[in-house]
Amino acid sequence: MAPRPGKDGNIWRMIWKYKALYLISIPSILYFLIFKYIPLGGSIIAFQEYNIFKGFGGSEWVGFAHFAEMFRHYDFLRILKNTVLIGLYDLVFAFPAPIILALLLNELRLVMFKRVVQTVVYMPHFLSWVVIAGMSVAILSPTTGILNQLLGWFGFDPLYFLGDNAYIRGVLIGSGVWRDTGYGTILYLAALAGINPELYEAAQIDGANRWKQTLRITLPALLPTIMILFLLHIGKFLDFGFERVWVFLNALNTENGEILDTYIYRAGLLSQQYSYTTAVGIFKSLVGLALVMTGNFFSRKTTGESLY
Amino acid sequence: MKLPANVNSIIGKEGIGLKKWASLMLTCMFAISLLAGCGGKDEAKEKAPGAAEQQAESGDTVTKFSISLRTLNFGYVEQSPDINADKWVKRLEELTNTDMDIRLVPHKEYEQKMAQMFATNDIPDVVQGQGGTTGKEMAGSVEAGVFMPLDDLLKQYGPNLLKKIPQEAWNRMSYQGKIYGIPEWLGNPSRRATWIRKDLLDKTGLPVPKTVDDYLNVLRAFKELGVENPYMGRQDFKYADTFFGAYDVFPYLSQFEEVDGQIQPKFLDADNMMKALSTYKTMFDEGLINKEFATINPTTFKNTILAGKAGIWSMNANELIQWKTQLKESVPEAELAIIPSPVGPDGKGGYYLYGDVARSYFINAKYKHPEKVIQFFDWMISDEAEQFFTFGVEGEDYTKDGDKMDYKQPTDVQAVDEERYRQAFLWMVQDTTYNKGSLSLTEEGRNLMSVFDNTLANEGRDGIEFDPRLEALKKNPDITPLSDTPPPLLITHMVKMVYGQEPIENWPKVIEEWKSKGGNDVLKEANDRYQSKEGAFLPRK
Repeated sequence: MAPRPGKDGNIWRMIWKYKALYLISIPSILYFLIFKYIPLGGSIIAFQEYNIFKGFGGSEWVGFAHFAEMFRHYDFLRILKNTVLIGLYDLVFAFPAPIILALLLNELRLVMFKRVVQTVVYMPHFLSWVVIAGMSVAILSPTTGILNQLLGWFGFDPLYFLGDNAYIRGVLIGSGVWRDTGYGTILYLAALAGINPELYEAAQIDGANRWKQTLRITLPALLPTIMILFLLHIGKFLDFGFERVWVFLNALNTENGEILDTYIYRAGLLSQQYSYTTAVGIFKSLVGLALVMTGNFFSRKTTGESLY
Repeated sequence: MKLPANVNSIIGKEGIGLKKWASLMLTCMFAISLLAGCGGKDEAKEKAPGAAEQQAESGDTVTKFSISLRTLNFGYVEQSPDINADKWVKRLEELTNTDMDIRLVPHKEYEQKMAQMFATNDIPDVVQGQGGTTGKEMAGSVEAGVFMPLDDLLKQYGPNLLKKIPQEAWNRMSYQGKIYGIPEWLGNPSRRATWIRKDLLDKTGLPVPKTVDDYLNVLRAFKELGVENPYMGRQDFKYADTFFGAYDVFPYLSQFEEVDGQIQPKFLDADNMMKALSTYKTMFDEGLINKEFATINPTTFKNTILAGKAGIWSMNANELIQWKTQLKESVPEAELAIIPSPVGPDGKGGYYLYGDVARSYFINAKYKHPEKVIQFFDWMISDEAEQFFTFGVEGEDYTKDGDKMDYKQPTDVQAVDEERYRQAFLWMVQDTTYNKGSLSLTEEGRNLMSVFDNTLANEGRDGIEFDPRLEALKKNPDITPLSDTPPPLLITHMVKMVYGQEPIENWPKVIEEWKSKGGNDVLKEANDRYQSKEGAFLPRK
């Protein structure tokens, strides 16, 4: 937090006093201005019938027509529902996964083993979604896939995971968990390393077993980290990511799998309706903003942790 | 930035700390000035062509122009460290007295990059399109006047172009009655073909199939032989649409037809569409097509075939020799053949016809010497050019003994790649149906030419096509087909019907759904456009 101006209220004197801090913040301020805030201006094309040869100045203004068109679209509710549901599943299943994994890793006593496990689980994060989709097709195939062979041993019929609306959301979340859980543990492990070991020693003397220690010491110590990451996650609630969905979509699962991002890609880049898709994008951002503010409000009220 | 007047006194007070900051700032400034310096050099570089241009005006020195070319997924192009320094480019420049500045456009992001190029107004002197003046990739640039009309220039400097390129191709390059681009044309637009493993067919003892039923019988016999994929399916029916062709119901962009005076897409013919879907359903139920075809991607498709696990499939005919060689590596006894596609109730069949134009070249309206560029392209269709692009350089790549040509056809992958690059990528204006010069040298090649001239020329499905595209189709991606992929809305129903998740009798309902989701606007606009003859192209067959 920037300090308040001094008694005489001279803000310049205050800036001068902390000039070093201000100086080192200049590059990041410039970065955000140039790469984040100035491009925001481009959003005005959502209110225009944008033509790339006429530019911002020459294109015709159409007001909220593109937003109206979006809400009227016969598939809008379906796509929004998919986006919200997939976001929700991601929050419920994928968000806690790294926490659980970090707690489990924390219980490992053999350092070498712990290192190996850690490396193995965070490796998939560096694979691209295209590669993961290719692997998934092979693993999930009803005839040759290893998963269906496993199911076969237990007496189940093979399932066409990628060719069924019922499974696509599960596949999307599952592949995400597989890819990113290990990577997500890094922050939690760092937080865990910061806990004072004396707390555990004291608890042991008081007769707490490992489970009790986890509940009473580890989790409360992790809570601030969890809360902040949770708020950041909420901000990206509708932002599940384009590529990871696009690579899994096919004719048999689009109904439940299509999200706003993939729709924007199809309508915007493939059909070149820049204005329309910018409107959809703005809508998405506004929902994200509202969610973050709500989440932040409740978080501050309940746990005292907040982003701002 | 406003510096405080009392800098010195501050340094005095804070001592070393501030000095460090000052030196840091100096370093930053130095870095910035370095960057600026680089910028300056660039400017200097850019000035050079300007000087050369002036020279060009004064005499017959080299013509300089920049040109954008799509990489077309050619390994040789994509792996080349600097295409402008490539030896073939250099030779081409020598032969034509030009100096090209080639700017490659990645194949995969072609449309995106083109739009970017126009949006940033960084447009080369010559821009390569993929056919048509109003296609998506052109992003409305021709309408916006970015390129110059070429009619007068062509008359004066491109007599051979006008003579050799067919009128249909020029029609595609016209906008409001004026020619805007030079086309690389396609003499025979029927390119996709039905392929069969001839050795397997011989094993079954069956004759070459003709009708849909014949085909199904052959597929069943393949199944009995133990062929894993009697018919090779693929995602979205792309390159797996053989039977939609037999019933003439391709749900593609160029497939409109006139029924009782009304213009409509061919898939509105519910009877035939349901017959085609039933054929696929039969194949699915009997295991004649892979049960997972909805998730088979291009790579798996090709690998499965080349591993010898498929009986009949669809592919571009010009891939024949390459695939044959590759297939023989894993299955030495394999014989590949292209046979006439199955015929439907009207006695015809085949695949959708390609456009008359494969690639095209537009000249930036701001470019100073368009006549030189026209001459450059005019040279492309001369005998000298044909010789050069087909065989390379005399004495190095081939020798001539009277009329007898001694040209060693490349065998290893890299050399094949290089030949293909020279014959297809660098030869910008030609009839791309096939390369007559090199095909006629071998038995295999002559066979392939006969496939094109005798089998493929007699089949194929065409329809009425609208160019520029119908506005109603632009609005809604769900009902918009591509040139060889059905609209998403239809694919979903088609695949579900084949998988038995939805009854095929529902097709009329699908048509109603299509109409309610924007199809009615498409029908209305198509009829209006057809009546007023605005950018409507009639079927060629």
